[in-house]
Amino acid sequence: MSGSLLPVRFRVNGQDRQSEVRANELLIDFLRDRLGLTGTKRSCDIEICGACTVLLNGKAVSSCALFAFEINGKELLTIEGLADNGRLHPLQESFIECGGFQCGFCTPGMILLAQALLDENPDPSWEEVKEYMDANICRCTGYQMIIESILDAAKKMRRSI
Amino acid sequence: MRSAIGQNLHRIDGQEKVTGKGIYTGDLRPPGMVYGKVLRSLLPHARIRRIDSRQAESLPGVVAVLTRDNLRVASPLHGAYVKDQPVVALEKVRYVGDIVAAVAATEEGIAEEALKRIEVDYEELPAVFTVEEAMKEGAPLVHERFEGLKTSEYGSGGAHVVHENSNILLHFRYQRGAVEKGFGEADVVFEDTFFYPSAQHYPLESHISVALFEGESLTVWTSTQSPFPVRQELARVFGLPLSRVRVIVPYVGGGYGAKSGIKTEALAASLSRLAGRPVQLAFSADEIFKTICQPRAKLTIKTGVKKDGAFVARRCEVYLNGGAYANSGPSATEKAGYRAHGPYRIPHVLTDSYHVYTNTVPGGAFRGFGGPQAAFAYESHLDMIAHRLKMDPVELRMKNLLDRGEDYAAGDTPIDCDLKGGLQRIAEAIGWGQKVEANPHPSLSLEGRGLKVRVEGLKGSRIKRGKGIACGVKDGGGTNKPANAMVKILSDGSVLLSSGSVEIGQGMRTAFLQIVAEELSVAPDKIQVAELDTQYTPFDKGTNASSATSVMGQAVLRAARDAREQLLAAAASLLETQASEVELNDGKLFFKSKSLSFREVMRLHYAETEGEIVGRGFFKVPRNDKVPLGYSSPFWEIGFGAAEVEVDEMTGEVRIVKYVSLTDAGKMIHPLHCRGQDEGAALFGMGLTLFEEIVYKDGQMVNPNLVDYRLPRFRDLPELFTTQILEEEGGPGPYGAKGMGEGGILAVAPAVCNAVYDATGVRIREVPLRGERVWKALTEGKGDEGSGRG
Repeated sequence: MSGSLLPVRFRVNGQDRQSEVRANELLIDFLRDRLGLTGTKRSCDIEICGACTVLLNGKAVSSCALFAFEINGKELLTIEGLADNGRLHPLQESFIECGGFQCGFCTPGMILLAQALLDENPDPSWEEVKEYMDANICRCTGYQMIIESILDAAKKMRRSI
Repeated sequence: MRSAIGQNLHRIDGQEKVTGKGIYTGDLRPPGMVYGKVLRSLLPHARIRRIDSRQAESLPGVVAVLTRDNLRVASPLHGAYVKDQPVVALEKVRYVGDIVAAVAATEEGIAEEALKRIEVDYEELPAVFTVEEAMKEGAPLVHERFEGLKTSEYGSGGAHVVHENSNILLHFRYQRGAVEKGFGEADVVFEDTFFYPSAQHYPLESHISVALFEGESLTVWTSTQSPFPVRQELARVFGLPLSRVRVIVPYVGGGYGAKSGIKTEALAASLSRLAGRPVQLAFSADEIFKTICQPRAKLTIKTGVKKDGAFVARRCEVYLNGGAYANSGPSATEKAGYRAHGPYRIPHVLTDSYHVYTNTVPGGAFRGFGGPQAAFAYESHLDMIAHRLKMDPVELRMKNLLDRGEDYAAGDTPIDCDLKGGLQRIAEAIGWGQKVEANPHPSLSLEGRGLKVRVEGLKGSRIKRGKGIACGVKDGGGTNKPANAMVKILSDGSVLLSSGSVEIGQGMRTAFLQIVAEELSVAPDKIQVAELDTQYTPFDKGTNASSATSVMGQAVLRAARDAREQLLAAAASLLETQASEVELNDGKLFFKSKSLSFREVMRLHYAETEGEIVGRGFFKVPRNDKVPLGYSSPFWEIGFGAAEVEVDEMTGEVRIVKYVSLTDAGKMIHPLHCRGQDEGAALFGMGLTLFEEIVYKDGQMVNPNLVDYRLPRFRDLPELFTTQILEEEGGPGPYGAKGMGEGGILAVAPAVCNAVYDATGVRIREVPLRGERVWKALTEGKGDEGSGRG
């Protein structure tokens, strides 16, 4: 099942990398199986749930619905790249402090989507968070504590600017 | 030292889960691992004449092909209640999705290709899909015989009615008083029928296992809620001693009941034995729909009432469509039956509850375990009675609700919290009796929450608003659970807690750590919670039924107290006094002016040899023959709800605008996590109420994916959604704690349907409230009147 190999150069979590990928290789498989970045989670596999969300050039994308070769020349952020030298990102802190997860399976995707939101809008309202985050599914929390986590992180991040 | 109880500690799995470092089963890559895939039946009911897998075996990269022809096991069948489910299909397949064969290959794509090369020759059999079809005289039997059926252990009032040669696997009967006499004493009798959907748990992490057979030893890493029962079943299937089966549970990405009992484990193990390598078997998102579901329910309730609204007699009939294999469906059936009459004072009750096999996806445990189905029926029915009697539904509930300390059923644990007080609280929170207003909750700040003031524009419009209330109660779980825990104090003074409860997201590891911190008066960061590995972890029956804190919590508390006593005794001999004279505080042991740290006690007590203190705790709910189910309910889990809805009369669309959920935690060990449990449960209930439903056409499930089966999203949040958690300290758990996490579902469907009635005057007896269903009901006419007889 191999098919032809394509060379890719990309930046992931701040590191320049190059590799060869199969033409039909999905980004999620490349991340999890080839780069060992298993923080990115697979669930619905059809771009509905957002568990596999990563940031590609700062934009939230579903890694189950992209080919690995599509990252050529681009910059990728996965959950493993969010903490700064072991210091948690404010979003990660707030998700812990405000009960933003339970089983934790949607959490990497949820936090990265929230990062994309706060990049676009550092001071979102409750309604704006709700609307933006609607792309991802959590089956445990009932969502409100995720919204509170994001608003709490946004406040921290605005203070630190 | 500040008490650890009631503190919102940072959850101990937090750091790993927010950084992506937490290991779930699917993240494991043992050397040489290959990938498993399964072949599923496309027919609902068929005899297998022949399977030819030679073409699959010869495909390069395929390392194992498993069919009934090479399934060499001690016992091919497994099941929690009855041994009815084979590892792979034996003589026949019983539903669309039943597993016929499995393949392991070096790549997933190769395994998929191999499946296409397996030829199966079937002889199609007549099938039954609904309870009605399955219970017809002469209906085709899904199972011709019941092997290893669990014997019923009912106490007084409970009975098992046996049906030979039938698709009825379990018929549970509960009775008290004389129901016909009761109906005779009533002034008026009402009867109504309700339907609750089959639904999918959809934990974001699907069923997945990695298995490794080495010689006569089996290790399985798996996403399960019940590691010890899984070990038991694997040992039985493969004919191994329990000591040679090791089940390890990494983080579990949600369960909600779906991950109780064997799912991927036996198949992965069989493939590994054939392949001689570790095998990962991960079900895909559509396969999870074909594995287990919530059984669809039909419930009929008939109530005899006095003119003043007092209930006299109630007759309940409950039918659960159990699908092709039982799982723990029969236990859910018992519970649905026992819960069907509700938390009301009713002298005469007769309930029959049936678990019926059909050729559909197996049913089983689902968050609430029969409770939500029952509560939907009895709380909708109660509202209907109130409207027929021209009474206020809250008043009718107040009249009949049980008091704290009153019996739910003779001999069972008395009601352990103030139900009427809870009802008053939610009624107040939703502004019961007040007209629908823009913001009837001046005490609740809505600032920044964007509550749109649309109500002014509603006059004469097609959007109708209404309010509804419901009170659900379920008996607490964990009655079958021998819970063991171990608390070790190590030679450096640090503490290690080990228990068989699974961290499935509920935060139980953090709560248990808080209990140990409290009992040993030691800082939480001195305590570690061990990973779950059946080789080392003390036994537990499973993490289900809101039983971790309430039942296992008691074992943890006892283990911590056992360790504490040993530590005090060791310190006393060092301090040359009695243990009762030694004071324990903030990680230190005091006697008069002298003090020792944990580390000093351990070092001095054990000297150079080193050593550790091992504290053990055990708890099991005792057998009680006076109780219908054979065991007293450890506690009563309550789920009250008040909803305000908008109904679009032109489209039938229903929106929950406000929702207030109320439960009683007894005592909150970790308030933030308690809130998360209740909100999560309530939103689960909203999904089931508004749109979640598994749909079949001619025996084929038509919506096994997240496009056609919609889960609740952020957009489905009500504009006002609050949860009130009482602490009435009536629970059996540590410091009065009760179980929670399921209660929040109970009231949603009836509260919302009662609100829809309030808004439109139309009664809906079946959820989910999909637009076309509501619209149809709206066009068919109004009123709860009728169907009563004097």
